[in-house]
Amino acid sequence: MQYMALIYADEEAWSGFSEEQRAAAYEQYRAFGREAEEAGVLAGGNELGSTRDATTVRVRDEETLVTDGPYAEVKEALGGFYLLECESLDEALDWAARIPGAHHGAVEVRPVYVDPNEVQL
Amino acid sequence: MKYAMLIYGDDGAWADLPEEERSELRAAEMPQWTSLFEELGKADPSVVGKELDGRSTAKVVQVRDGERIVTDGPFAETKEILGGAFLVDLPDLDEAIRLAALVPSAKHGSIEIRPIVQ
Repeated sequence: MQYMALIYADEEAWSGFSEEQRAAAYEQYRAFGREAEEAGVLAGGNELGSTRDATTVRVRDEETLVTDGPYAEVKEALGGFYLLECESLDEALDWAARIPGAHHGAVEVRPVYVDPNEVQL
Repeated sequence: MKYAMLIYGDDGAWADLPEEERSELRAAEMPQWTSLFEELGKADPSVVGKELDGRSTAKVVQVRDGERIVTDGPFAETKEILGGAFLVDLPDLDEAIRLAALVPSAKHGSIEIRPIVQ
């Protein structure tokens, strides 16, 4: 079963980090990635660019509306995610708690939904 | 450039529907999804798409002072929640916008495009 671990954190804190602080944070993430990979639970993961670089698209009455910025202005924004292959929700929660972002921000864990009738990408 | 297309929608009653009904409703939108998948596949054969299960299945994990705190989610208390995402490699943002507008959920929700940090 796949679970998405969505990492929410304070973007302003991140942008205020020094080079050393950033390097240390990346090293923590790399260590998590290595552990998860060695345990065979890592199925993917990406860091997202800042919400300042977000573009939001909506279609209303056949018209495409494009706005700069994220879907919602929030203090703690989605900054990245891991895709975890776990036997159970409990196992996914255990791994989520080891993600560095869980220690200052929050990690939302959601099961990946698979529609049996749908074409899978 | 790799982009994440984050699909936000009001899952409302949808999440509480039995799986059979969800599949039926989805079948009605299926032709639009199928043509979107074709377009995405043409743009990037290694495109990844993931749909997330409903609001009621979300948990939030935080660790403070070494203690693990698990609460019912989702984390963001908004009416619309993240329902899925595509990860796709595209030449530019304009192409990402064109494809985002083809996502059936763009008609009732929002598609947020974010560059992926390489």
